Order: sequence, then structure tokens, then C-alpha cells
Amino acid sequence: MAEDAFLDELAEQELTRRRLLELGALVGAGAAFAGGVAGSAFGGGGGTPKRGGRITWGLEADPVHIAPFGGILTSNHWGKEFMYDSLLEWDRNLNIRPALAEKYDVVNKTTVDFTLKRGIRFHNGKEFTAADAKYSFELQSNPPAPGSIAVLGQFPKIANTQVLSKYKLRINLSQPDATLFGYLAWSRYSPMVPEGMYQQLNPAREGIGTGPFRLVNYTPNDRVEYNRYPNFWRKGQPYLDGLTLRVLPDEQARIAALRAGAVDGASLLVDSARAFRGQSGFQVLRGNTAAFRELQFTLKEGNPKPWFDGRVRRAINHALNRQEMIQRVYDGNGAYSGHVPPGYGPWPLTQQELKTKYEKFDLPLAKKLMAQAKQERGFSVTMTTFSTPPDFPALASVIKQQLQQINIEVNIEAQEPGTFAARNGTGSFDWDLTMRGMRGDVNGYMAEFNPSASIYSRWYPEYRNQKMWRLVGTGQIQLDQKKRLGIYKELQKLLLTQALIQVPLIAVSKFQVIRNPVKNMYVAFSDFNTGLRYAWLDR
Amino acid sequence: MYRHVARRLLLLFPTLIGMSLIVFMAVRLLPGDIVDVLTAGDTTITDQQREQIREQLGISGSYPEQYARWVGDAVRGDFGISLRNTTPVSETLGVAIPITLEIVLLGLLIATVVGVPLGVISAVRRDSSRDYASRLAGLIGISIPSFWLATLLLLFTSRIFGWVPPYSYVSPFDDPWTNLQQFILPALSVSVFTMAIVMRMVRATMLEVLSQDYVRTARAKGIAWRRVILKHALRNALIPVVTIVGFEVGVLMGSAAIIELIFGLPGVGWNLLQAIFNRDYPMIQATAMLLATIFIVVNLLVDLLYGVIDPRITLE
Repeated sequence: MAEDAFLDELAEQELTRRRLLELGALVGAGAAFAGGVAGSAFGGGGGTPKRGGRITWGLEADPVHIAPFGGILTSNHWGKEFMYDSLLEWDRNLNIRPALAEKYDVVNKTTVDFTLKRGIRFHNGKEFTAADAKYSFELQSNPPAPGSIAVLGQFPKIANTQVLSKYKLRINLSQPDATLFGYLAWSRYSPMVPEGMYQQLNPAREGIGTGPFRLVNYTPNDRVEYNRYPNFWRKGQPYLDGLTLRVLPDEQARIAALRAGAVDGASLLVDSARAFRGQSGFQVLRGNTAAFRELQFTLKEGNPKPWFDGRVRRAINHALNRQEMIQRVYDGNGAYSGHVPPGYGPWPLTQQELKTKYEKFDLPLAKKLMAQAKQERGFSVTMTTFSTPPDFPALASVIKQQLQQINIEVNIEAQEPGTFAARNGTGSFDWDLTMRGMRGDVNGYMAEFNPSASIYSRWYPEYRNQKMWRLVGTGQIQLDQKKRLGIYKELQKLLLTQALIQVPLIAVSKFQVIRNPVKNMYVAFSDFNTGLRYAWLDR
Repeated sequence: MYRHVARRLLLLFPTLIGMSLIVFMAVRLLPGDIVDVLTAGDTTITDQQREQIREQLGISGSYPEQYARWVGDAVRGDFGISLRNTTPVSETLGVAIPITLEIVLLGLLIATVVGVPLGVISAVRRDSSRDYASRLAGLIGISIPSFWLATLLLLFTSRIFGWVPPYSYVSPFDDPWTNLQQFILPALSVSVFTMAIVMRMVRATMLEVLSQDYVRTARAKGIAWRRVILKHALRNALIPVVTIVGFEVGVLMGSAAIIELIFGLPGVGWNLLQAIFNRDYPMIQATAMLLATIFIVVNLLVDLLYGVIDPRITLE
């Protein structure tokens, strides 16, 4: 099937924007109506897909386990994503489309009925039914070991599920929750498994799903092997006979393996990827991902600091030259980011808005604001960051230099990830140079500005902003998608003008290098390797 | 001799108890625990949920309680389960130990097989071009970090020959040739430093031994020079070398951690590094204790070897 035809077929299956609205999809659709930036890099997608062959992909980290529920690490999902499906899925532009569900109906604000596709079979031959979906949701709400309940922050307000018929499942929400559909489409925490799977096998090492590939073997710290599932519900796919994910944490090892043909593709840092540019036999893919860097402050009681003054925070925002950061640290590969990263559907502020207004580099204004706050002489502060990956210390150095211009002396403290996580989680820091990742719904980027969130009392107990709180709360329960869009745009503007308790910096491009025979691969915005589901080989 | 061995083995217990206390406390002194790592970035998690996860993982309770639980289980042969993937630690280490041991043993073999003759030649041909070449090689060997050499070897073979060692571990008993392909570069990488140390030590001790009266006597008796060197001089020169080699086992096990990572071999060091980053207490504790035990046992073997090399040395 030609790729265009394939996309047409997918388009037929997709819930269109109008259909979404008709259905009252309203309730969410997370990142639907996608923008054009996400997943923009394609690897030689032209031509007619060919069946056969096997791809070996170099993974940066071991999955640790491949249990379907409660996996914390991104690498957990890297290991399992080809085996499982959810009721909905994102396409490469973050449009929500049906996967195992044929359609859904919003019965009322707290009830959604899903009609499942018929005839879908798990890898063990069993037919997928509503009972399996119910079982899966129950495990999602309380992930057994090796999963962790630490992921429950992502779980929507699902009170319970009911099997209405063999192919119909009702989801009852405890309160209106617009995040449901994005959660399902993300699929990271919402895969569907056959009823009783956890009693049949060791989910840390084995699994049964409906995905395009059937698990052959997972050897920790070594590889995950998949074979094509011939009865995959999307007819004609996957194109590959098999897929091997090879764990190669060392960047140089991945480079060597690529050059020697031991792997067909891998993610690399910008400098390493640049070395492959223009080399015959290789293609360099580039795409935005949800991972953006940001500067974060604490505003804690009984310990007033200069940045408690909103004018100082605004001064910092305008003294930071994001374009220079992109050039110096990321070799020009990045974009301005607001609190919602660019590429995340229609939700983020535009690059134009950020560059010319909300994140405009304006040193005179910054100095003026410092003067108004009586901080002309500046102050000294410790900014903690990750010791690895190396762009964090490098970015910290650029920030240090830039803020010296408004007399803020930044002392950089690079910490290993465990230490950083512990101090960040308890709010034991003044400034953190940190990052945010993918979320199932735009609300995920705003959760920390909700005063009822436990983290708020650790990070910002001294900060009060009724309007911000109201917008955060309304956004989560507002079921009308258009109204939600307005709410989150307004909230982002408010966060970048009044609040600024976090200063988003830049979204970083991700690079993947593939060998020429690999076609139709793309850099997924979600930071997964979803493109391998659709990739094919042109040997 | 048996009493000495028994005494040394008995000393193993207080040493291991001390080690266990240090390891147990050291990992808990690190800022953050696995719950912090697991929940990093989740801004919705509550303190109550954190405690719930700690209980779920079995890391709640006071330190003495946790220590007693760990030691009690370990004495019964249960080293716990990994907090990250619920796999028994003993199972993971069972896979990892052969990999690390093979790197270390092969590295030691290369180091001694190359280092000892080089040291002897260098001493016997003192101030000759061979001596200068050997000494220069030794200096370079000491100066080159093993991880740098490993990376260089990997990039060199991939770029020039389009070849990298096979990645998935193959046992030497299943396929010796593939296994050798897998381990030759890692072993070479870790061996270079030890090789240089051995070479320099052999040279120094040989120079000292060669000036001894008994060597001169042996020569005067008309014994062939080669026999004097190999049977009389080298044997006596080997004692400090054996000590160094024993000590180097620890160094090699340390170097192996990074080398395993570079060559994608899931050995003990790889697991330990991951466990430290993840605050996987059972895995860190068991691995550290294992490495300590290996180090102690190897040094005991080295002590016993003294008597074999030089019968004048008794262990009483």
C-alpha cells in the first residue's frame, strides 16, 4: 500500500474535528487538532512500502521491565510500545484517532461509552472484548508490581468501568475530566491486555497485547525481540518481519554500531548526529519533542528572596536570550517554549508571540524592572541542575552569563539525577534548571499551578494568584474543547506575564540517525519510537 | 597452613559485617531514595502516596530494622528483589557475574602474558632500544584511561573494518569463537593499565634480583643464561608481581563497569551503576558485597600463592 493510500485509510478511520465536536469530544481529546511541528522529521518516507526484513534499533536505556501498567521510565515504554495498543491513539501529528475502540459516545459529563472494534485478537488468539478493557482499567488504577502507583498522577478521574455488552464499555468518571482522551491516546499508561494476564505470566518479562509485534524475548540490559504479528488489526501492517531493540547506553557504542551496520538506527545527541550529515548510507532525522528546559523558582514562606518580587522574575525572563541558548548549546536546533511545548497540538503560544512579546529578549526592560524592584545591584543565588545530559551544565553556564548583565550572580550546582530529583521533589532549592516531558493532556503541564496539588505547597506556598488558580481548575473540568483552548492560552499568557514562577526556556530537537534502507521512520514528539510501527525496509 | 587459611576465612566474617554496615549506610546517605527517582517530575504525587510506595517496595521502617531484615535474608541466601523490576537480585547477578569475571580474567591474562615478558626483556636488556621501547609502552599504558581506549577501539574497528563485537552475550561454553570476539576488545581495554604496571614491576624487581649473589653464583656455575633468568631470577621477582596482580583484580573490576557499558555487556559493574542511579538498594548492597568478597578471596589466594612461588615463605 502506498503511503498516501495508507494515510488515506487512516484518515477514514480518524475522528475528524467535526466528528469530535459532534460526539461531544469536547471531553477532551487531549492534544487533538494537532499542530504541524510535531514529528516533522520523516526518514525517506517515499515509495511503496515493502514487506519483510528486520530492523535493529539501538536503545539509549534498558526498559528495566516491560510490564504494561505503572511503568515510570520512558524506557519502560520504549520496550513495550510495539506490543500493546490502547482504545485510542495519536497519529504522528498528535491527532487523536481510534485504535481498539471504534467510537465513543459522551453520554453525559461523567459518562463515556466506548464501542470496541470487533474481531481484534490478542497475540494469544483470544478476542479482545469489553471484559478485557475493564480488567485493563482496573490494573491501570492500581498498577501491580513491577509497576508503581507513582504513575497515578496521570490517571484520569475514572471511578469505575462497566461492561455493557461484549463490545461496549462504559467509563464512569468521578468528576468531569477532560484529560481522559489524551490519556488513552498517549497509550503509555493505558494499554489493553487480556483478562487474567497477570496470573498467566511474568509481566515484567512477558506480555500479551494486540500490537503490531509479538514479543519473542526480553533479556534485561541486552535486548527486546519482536516478531511480526500477522493478525494485527490494521490490515497489511506491520511491514517488518521483526524488530530488535538493542540496549546500548553508551553514545559512542551506538555510533560504532550504526557505522558497522549492527543497528539500523538510534537516537544521538546533536553533535554526534551532525557527524552523520551528508554521509552516504545514513539519514539524520530531526524533530521536536515534548522535552523542554525551564528555570524554576521556589517561593517559600518565611524566607523572602529577591525573586519573590514579580518584577525581578519578569526581569529575569527578559534578560534571558533564548536564541543565543539555542545557538550556543544546541547548534541552532531548538525553539522557544512556553509552559506548553511547541508542537503540542494547538495548545502552545506561537513562536511569534513568544519571540516578540512574552519571551522577548529585552535587556533595557530587564534592567528597568530590576531598578523598579530596587535590585539594581543584583544578588547571588544557587541554581541546581542535572549533571547529565551534558546540555544542562552547558545551558546553565549560558544562563549564568546572561543574568550577569542584570547583576545576578548565579552559582551553578550540577547534581546527579537522583539527588536532583530528591531535592526538587521536596522543594529544597532556590532555582532549578530542569525539564518537563510529555503529557497526555495539556492540563498535565499546568497541574503544578493548582494550589491543591501537593507540590504547590513545597514550591510556591508564598505565591497567590486567584486568576491563575481559577483558570487551572476550570481548564481541567471544562469539557468544551474550544473553550478549553481559550482557557489554556489565557493561562499561559498569565503565567508568562504575572506569575513567572517557572520560566520556560527552549524546546530541544531530538535527532535519530537511520541507515538508508529504513523508510518511513520519524522522530516522535512523544519521545517514543512510534515510527518503528510503520517503518519498512528498502533493501 | 590450614590454620592460616582457616584464620583468614574466619576474618572474612567481621570484614563482611563491617562492609555490610558501610554499604548499607552509604547508600542511604545518598540524597533521595528510589521513590524520589520514581516520582521525579510528577507534580501531583502526595506524601501519603510516597509512603505507600515505600511500603510497597519494602523500604519503610527504621534503618536498624531494614538492616536486620536485609542481613537476615542474605544469611538465608535471599538477597532480595530489585526495586526497579522485581527480579531477584541473585538472578540478575547470576547473569552478570560470568560476564565481569570473563572480562577481568581475560584482562589479567593479557596483562600478565604481555607484561611479564616485556618486563623481563626490559630488565635483561637494560638501557637498550628494547628497554626504552618497553618503558615507553609502559608509560603510555599507565597514562591511557581504559574507557577512552575502549571507545577508540570501538570507533576504530567500526570505521575501518565496519565491525563491532557481537552485542548479545554468548557463553564461551556455547560458542567460544563468538565469545572471544565479544570479549577481546573489552579485555584489551581493561588490561592495558595493569599490563603497564606489571611490566614496570617485573622490570624493577628483575633488576634487583639480577644483581643478587645467587644469580651471579648460578651464572658462575655455568647454568645457561635463559635458565638463570627463568628459573632463578624470575621466580623470585614474581612475588611482588603476584601481590600487584591480586590488587589489580579490584582495579579491573572497577574499570570493567565502564567498559561493560561501552561494549553493551550487562555485567556486574553495569548493574551496579544502574542500581546506584536508581537507588535500587538491594541491588547495590548485594553487588557491593559480592565485589568485596571477591576482592578478599582473591587476596587470600594471593597469600597462599606466595608459598607456592617461594617455598621459603611459610604461612604459619
